[in-house]
Amino acid sequence: MHYTELEKTISARQPKLHISLRPSLLSVLTLLLGLGTAQLAAASTIHAVGVENQYANVISQIGGKYVQVSAIESNPNTDPHTFEASPAVAREIAAAQLVVRNGVGYDSWAKKILAADPNPKRQVIVVQNLLHLPDSTRNPHLWYKPETMPAVVKAVAASLSTLDPAHKAYFDANVQKFDASLQPWYAAIASFKAQYPNTPVAVTEPVADYMLQAAGCDLKTPWNLQADIMNGTDPAPQDVSIQNQLFKTHQVKVFLYNQQVTDSLTASFLHNAKAAHIPVVGVYETMPTGYTYQSWMLAEVKALRAALEHGQSTTVLK
Amino acid sequence: MWAFLSSQPVQTALIVGTCAALVSALIGVFTVLRGNAFAGHALADVSSAGGAASFLLGISPLLGFLGMAWIAAFGMEFLGVRKARERDLATGVVLGAGLGLSALFLYLDVTTTSTTGATVSVMFGSLFAISRGLIWPAILAVLAVFALVGGFYRPLILTAVDPDLATLRGVSPRWMGLLQLLVLGLAVAVCALAIGAVLATALLIGPAGAAIRLSRRPLQAIVWAMLMALAAVWMGIWMAYESYYWFSGNAWPVSFFVVALIFLFYLLAMLGSAQQRKFRYRAATALPGIQES
Repeated sequence: MHYTELEKTISARQPKLHISLRPSLLSVLTLLLGLGTAQLAAASTIHAVGVENQYANVISQIGGKYVQVSAIESNPNTDPHTFEASPAVAREIAAAQLVVRNGVGYDSWAKKILAADPNPKRQVIVVQNLLHLPDSTRNPHLWYKPETMPAVVKAVAASLSTLDPAHKAYFDANVQKFDASLQPWYAAIASFKAQYPNTPVAVTEPVADYMLQAAGCDLKTPWNLQADIMNGTDPAPQDVSIQNQLFKTHQVKVFLYNQQVTDSLTASFLHNAKAAHIPVVGVYETMPTGYTYQSWMLAEVKALRAALEHGQSTTVLK
Repeated sequence: MWAFLSSQPVQTALIVGTCAALVSALIGVFTVLRGNAFAGHALADVSSAGGAASFLLGISPLLGFLGMAWIAAFGMEFLGVRKARERDLATGVVLGAGLGLSALFLYLDVTTTSTTGATVSVMFGSLFAISRGLIWPAILAVLAVFALVGGFYRPLILTAVDPDLATLRGVSPRWMGLLQLLVLGLAVAVCALAIGAVLATALLIGPAGAAIRLSRRPLQAIVWAMLMALAAVWMGIWMAYESYYWFSGNAWPVSFFVVALIFLFYLLAMLGSAQQRKFRYRAATALPGIQES
């Protein structure tokens, strides 16, 4: 209203200027209506956030050149469970058009940020809900489950197609490509399971438990000890004794050690495993640098295999 | 019982717990006699900043606790004033600043290093998760405390009970105060390692406070305090171990049991001393010849 009135007065007073003034007024209007919309329309890439860097990696594989992805949790030297969000992170998540987060209490801070700044246009994918898992799910490390990422990429492609319908075919083709690229990992898991059935293993935390179960491993470490190490609470001496006994009496063939949560207790387990000549395989909560999701998962299975075939330790993925 | 004693975490817990009990009982009696309970508590809380920093620096947590306890002790002595009210104020200010530092260091621990359990183990202790490498440093700290207190027992007691009389007898209150802080720092570090910086106070002043109600003689009070502290620590470790079977594998923390037992002992000692006084009073009123002592 205000601008049309202004326009009228101007045009009434100076009819000659009418034509030349109109475009500039329009641009002022657009500017005033919102800088953000104007910028996004110009850039036309979708801004997406993967709360854990493995999800960010998968989004960028599906979205390709039409998506600009950032990851929040990607430091391989810290424990993602204890992440604390800064205001900059909160702004980044609130501004994103697509957010993929894990759920199962792993990134509840991100849930709070999203709830604090509701936006009906924002697409949010919670992996826990995709897999229909209840909140009481004990192990939050869902990305080690072989069936997780195919479901995630499907949901990501659907969300991207909603945001950018013109490139739906491109996103769908990338889903096909992604699913195909997971096959070597599936094959490695299947051949491990066939060749080394019921392999007894010990772990510190339940990080890779889903993958170990898929590979037919027998998890010997008591669940309470895994949960205590994951949550940073006091372990029961009985559980610690059971774990040490597993190494001492060679009841396990491999020890999977979480590189992102270490303390004097996990260090003592590492020491005992090495003393008993039990090969150690390092596992990660977030994707280590230099890997894609697929190559990372494949590397973990290969390391597990090398441990059984040659008794070789792979403490750090390079 | 054999399974209990042969468990490696239990052995470490028993050794470090015993160190903490002995040293806290000894130093606790001096601290309570001197009316320094609040300072002792503050020192323990502030030492948490050192424990938190030890994860960042990659040094032994015992050194971290000790370093910060000493810095805080000398800080309080430096700010400290003669009047009790002003002393409490200075202590409170140092306490606040120290806890602020530990909030920062714990934040840095969990965000820059992979030490998830840092907050719980620094603040509330993880007696069953202590590394075996800390056994000897803890024993050395206890021996140092016993040697220092043994060597200066009389002047320390005199300064604690009656500083003016001690000065008259030629004891330097400044040197004795410094010595007291030195050993208090050592005791706090061992206690914080065992049951956490926040709960260390319980071990430091609980058994000593109870013992002083039971006996007026310092040496006797020290023995009482040691017995109660040892009982609380040993029984606490045993109960935490057994709680694994009570709650289907979800054992409760040792620190809780130790602190709960100390509180129970304190209540019993209070009841006991009240009873004692009543008897004495009755005896005094029944037999006019006997005076209450």
